Amino acid sequence: MSVWLIVGIAALTYGSRALALVFMREPREGPRKLLDRMPAPLFAGLAATSLFQDGTLVDERTLVATAGALVLTPTRSLLAVLLGGFAGYVLALLVL
Amino acid sequence: MRRTVLAALPPAAAIFVFGVIYGSLARPELGVTATVLSSLLIFSGSVQFTLVALVTSGAGAGALVLNATTLNLRNLVLGAVMRTRVDRSSPARAGIGWFLTDEAAGLALASEEDSARVLVVAGGLFYVSWQIGTALGLLGASVEALQEAASAVFPVLFVGLSAAVCPSWSVGLRAAVAAVLVAGASWWWPGSQGFAAVIAAVLVSLPDDAR
Repeated sequence: MSVWLIVGIAALTYGSRALALVFMREPREGPRKLLDRMPAPLFAGLAATSLFQDGTLVDERTLVATAGALVLTPTRSLLAVLLGGFAGYVLALLVL
Repeated sequence: MRRTVLAALPPAAAIFVFGVIYGSLARPELGVTATVLSSLLIFSGSVQFTLVALVTSGAGAGALVLNATTLNLRNLVLGAVMRTRVDRSSPARAGIGWFLTDEAAGLALASEEDSARVLVVAGGLFYVSWQIGTALGLLGASVEALQEAASAVFPVLFVGLSAAVCPSWSVGLRAAVAAVLVAGASWWWPGSQGFAAVIAAVLVSLPDDAR
């Protein structure tokens, strides 16, 4: 793999990160509301993505940890959800 | 600052573990120089692991660029979302863009502190973790015992971030629908994993809230 290809892909990656952040104007109210609605579904989608590897579900411990995290989502606290995931993982270690 | 570092530690630890795995996997395929350069310059686990897999399977430069483009689509969405929260000059925003990873953006959105600062502090921590992990992987370190636990960090973290940035039950419902759509797509068409989350997030966010 050539150095130039790595530099090109690095430029592509950085460009995708900086493009909207640098060049996008402050959005109007309509697009802004749309953007405000997007993070939660995006992260939920990324969570779902990380539960699959090549079309199959990941190991049971990760699934139980995720279930533990999901139980505590009504708290809307990142720390509480992380603790729920940790508790789920420990439970899976003990039971499975 | 202290709260940001504390919140960033679990993903930083997982990123370190995956950095070690990346270093050990990439070395025989890319060589030492290209492995180090890729981590220093690309700083994206999903892109870098995909590159190694494609190089291993003999894919050409076109396929590498196409896959990297697809995987980076979500950065456009994250950048647009963060734009409304990062009130800095253009050059400063260009610098902050370096640290715009999924995890750093999520922590910035979930935090009540200044988003730009959270992006830089958390993103900087992730960058250092990734580099140290890659270097140790190149040197032959093994973290197989930790791989499974590290894998569990990401879905749990993303669930937590989704919950923390959710402003209403309506958006929570949209998030649940997006997760179901992405799970279905990932199961039915594994190749969609690079972009399914972005498309689902856009689709479920389009309808306006009922008044």
